[in-house]
Amino acid sequence: MSNVWRGVVVPWIPRAILLGLFAFAIFGPLANLLLWSVAEVWYFPHKLPLEWGFDFWRQVFKPRGNAMLSLNNSIIIAIFTVIVSLAIAIPAGYALARRNLPWRSLILIAFLLPQAFPSVAVYINVARIFYGFGLAGTYVGVVLVHTVQGLVFAVWIATAAFSAVDRELEEAARNLGASGLRTFMTITLPLALPGIMASAIFVFLISLDEFTGTFFVGVPDVVTMPLLLFNASMEGNYQIASITSLLLLVPSVGFMLFIERFLKADVLAKVGN
Amino acid sequence: MRRVALTRASIAIGLAIGMAGAVQAQTINVLTAGSQNMVDYVTDYLGPLFEEQNPGVTVRAAGTGPGDAGSQKIFEKLDAQMSAGSDAWDVDVAVVHQKMAGQMREADLLGSYRGDIATGELVTRDTAKMALGVDVDGYVMPMFHSQTAIAYNPDLVPDPPSSYEELKEWVAANPGQFGYNGIKQGMSGVSFVVGWMYAHSGQEDVLSAGPYDPALKDGWGDVLAELKSFNENVTFTPGNAGTLDMLNRGEIVMGPVWVDMFYTWQADGRVAPNIKLKLIGPGMPGQPMYYIVPAKAANSDLGKKFVELATSPAVQAEGIVKKFNWYPGIDAVHVEDSLEPADFEKLFADVTPDDLASKGKVFPIGPFFDDILESYERQVQN
Amino acid sequence: MMTLHRSLRDERVWSFALVAPALLTVGLLFIYPLGFSAVSAFSAEEEGGWTFANFIKAFDLYSNDILFTVVIVSLSTVLIGVFAIAIGGYLTLGENLYAVAILKWLYRWPLFIPFIVAAQLMRTFLAKNGLMNNLIVGSGLLEPLQTQSFLDWRGIVITFVWKQTPFVALLVAGAMASLDRSMIESARNLGAGRLRILIEIILPQVRPTIVVALILSFVVMMSVLSVPIMINAQTPTMLTVDMAFRINAYGDYGVANALGFISYLMTGVVAWIYLRHGVRQGGSP
Repeated sequence: MSNVWRGVVVPWIPRAILLGLFAFAIFGPLANLLLWSVAEVWYFPHKLPLEWGFDFWRQVFKPRGNAMLSLNNSIIIAIFTVIVSLAIAIPAGYALARRNLPWRSLILIAFLLPQAFPSVAVYINVARIFYGFGLAGTYVGVVLVHTVQGLVFAVWIATAAFSAVDRELEEAARNLGASGLRTFMTITLPLALPGIMASAIFVFLISLDEFTGTFFVGVPDVVTMPLLLFNASMEGNYQIASITSLLLLVPSVGFMLFIERFLKADVLAKVGN
Repeated sequence: MRRVALTRASIAIGLAIGMAGAVQAQTINVLTAGSQNMVDYVTDYLGPLFEEQNPGVTVRAAGTGPGDAGSQKIFEKLDAQMSAGSDAWDVDVAVVHQKMAGQMREADLLGSYRGDIATGELVTRDTAKMALGVDVDGYVMPMFHSQTAIAYNPDLVPDPPSSYEELKEWVAANPGQFGYNGIKQGMSGVSFVVGWMYAHSGQEDVLSAGPYDPALKDGWGDVLAELKSFNENVTFTPGNAGTLDMLNRGEIVMGPVWVDMFYTWQADGRVAPNIKLKLIGPGMPGQPMYYIVPAKAANSDLGKKFVELATSPAVQAEGIVKKFNWYPGIDAVHVEDSLEPADFEKLFADVTPDDLASKGKVFPIGPFFDDILESYERQVQN
Repeated sequence: MMTLHRSLRDERVWSFALVAPALLTVGLLFIYPLGFSAVSAFSAEEEGGWTFANFIKAFDLYSNDILFTVVIVSLSTVLIGVFAIAIGGYLTLGENLYAVAILKWLYRWPLFIPFIVAAQLMRTFLAKNGLMNNLIVGSGLLEPLQTQSFLDWRGIVITFVWKQTPFVALLVAGAMASLDRSMIESARNLGAGRLRILIEIILPQVRPTIVVALILSFVVMMSVLSVPIMINAQTPTMLTVDMAFRINAYGDYGVANALGFISYLMTGVVAWIYLRHGVRQGGSP
């Protein structure tokens, strides 16, 4: 009995306290979100809502509201952003990982730029250019804008993924007479795929989160979830903002679960090198 | 590889667009700067009403965010289309703030339309002609008028201050209990600061009517120094909504708010029912929101029709006053007839018509406005 | 000799062809529009011509905010690094499988929360009478009068750390997991403590990943508007708030763009660290 006590329970005490604090730090704020989404009347000095209910859910999903349309838009745009990003990041990542490129670091840094500059000022100019090409207010325009924002994650992680592939395997295939393209498609790409999938998560999340570019390029024809959220949130409409946030969590968590199995440690190890 | 993926992507995107925008006969785009409740007003009330009266037309409404930032985005959207040389702009009607209406007029982004609609003559207030020193006569219709006032909790402050002078003493005696949102986080704080300037500089007339004198700001040192020491006993709040929120959570007991927003929050259960409003002397500014029709709106005729409906006495009475507790955009006399007396009086429960007439100020003209904000940044915040 | 020379050149051409679509995307959709910002930052609005006036004004009015931004973002980056290493370290070295599994499940959640949502929920969580203080008071640890609001610089740091730690931890934990276990095991057999193994054996090997993940976080935090604007009502505040204010209140793109470039310079310093780091690594993975 005392052995069990000393062997199992005692070591769990500090562990449980630490994990408990950690869980509080993670889920405390999230619990807040859930509370607000069902609070109908809540004011000082009451510590919990006075009236609970789903009135605000009805408001979000009212027939004329565009919650569902925006959610659909958000998901469609995020998926296409992932596809376009990967389509341009895979060749770039391969070249950056495998070939002797002069200015390699500078090229890698170039992809960092769009994340680094506070974006409002730039997107005003992007909108101007897009109106000239007729890209404003189209899905293509919004996808392009999101792609630029996410490219640093796509390219950096794809580069890492290709670096992690063992060169000897490729050379063996070449020695057996396979063409360069065939080697790439049958050996290199499948081996790098887990890392590329990891980059897809980040691109997907960035696209779901993007506000400024979507506003200037998309509105009024393309409205996404963050646009609804931004209004409600800035305005202190906590119920609507909380419900919208919860809805936005659905695709992110779903996508993560889908992609979880592709996440491999050895690829994450090489990101950005 | 790349090209295949790209082509496939573009085909799929094409399909997606086809599906999402299942082609409508006619669509008018209405952009609204300002609170969520104003966007809801268009989506839930005005839009359906307009569609009912104009079969085959769809109203598509989007909000651009609260405060001047929301108006600024509409400006940029129109400006981008103008400089791209487009002839059919994708905004047919927009709701913008007073300052931005002037800026848009000066950039030639607005169409003149008040003379074309039947309700154009129902509004005679100055605000329909001048927007912070810019002549906008004919280019705007007021949607509603709003006003800032001090909200307070009468249980904790039974005898609220009734002027800036009394407020200053009250804050010194009760540090941390009064909150406002500075000038960077929304207009209710800006309005409080402007009221302070009117009260203490003695220059209200020239500030709000002109002519502009760049040397005037050099004399504001003392007034702003006083505000700076006032600020030491103030709790700062994150935004217009932040002030209401902190009031609601009991973190402050008094603060400047927009009257319309206050009533909406109270109706939603987010502000305790006992909280009251007071318009303090010598006065605080308010402003109208304007309907504008862009100069090259793709459907400008429908846009005008939309504004005509929105500013008709019936809609102003039912929608603006009764549903939202906003002060009407057109002259009150035209609205009063379409309302039950009780509904009309409810609007003036805390802030009486006399208060509004004597203490409801306008914001200063554009260049003075900028000077006040920048002097505040320089001398109070830095 | 000739053929070798040609094949090297061919290879370079090929490599550039492969990178070109990505570079073109960034070039056309970001660097080109950024050029307009540069022009606006350096030109005099009324007199015409080129000037540093916008930068002088930016420093004049916002020098405190510039300093504040650097301090806040740097502090957050350091804290994120510490927490991410702690999480990654425990996931790698933890001996209790259940505790490791629980931690692994826990730490990722904030990754999915957009910044604006994080700001929104922290605002109601950290307030003086917010959920956190209510819970602490409810559990009897504090008296209601002792509570304080965290909605100032601490709120910004807390939100940044909360939101960005999982991202860094995900990458760092991945890097740690892929290390050769044999060295760790042998150190353990020699009786080295876990903390010592983490600091002396694991950290040096995963340093590149940590640096890169922290650079990405730093850059992202520099450009977030929603967190400072919704959480911090005090002055000084972060540069993104000033940029938005310059544009929204004055329509003044010149100073706003100048602030943008100042913020760019700061990220430039960080990028320089990355470059130096890359060079020391031999320039290739």
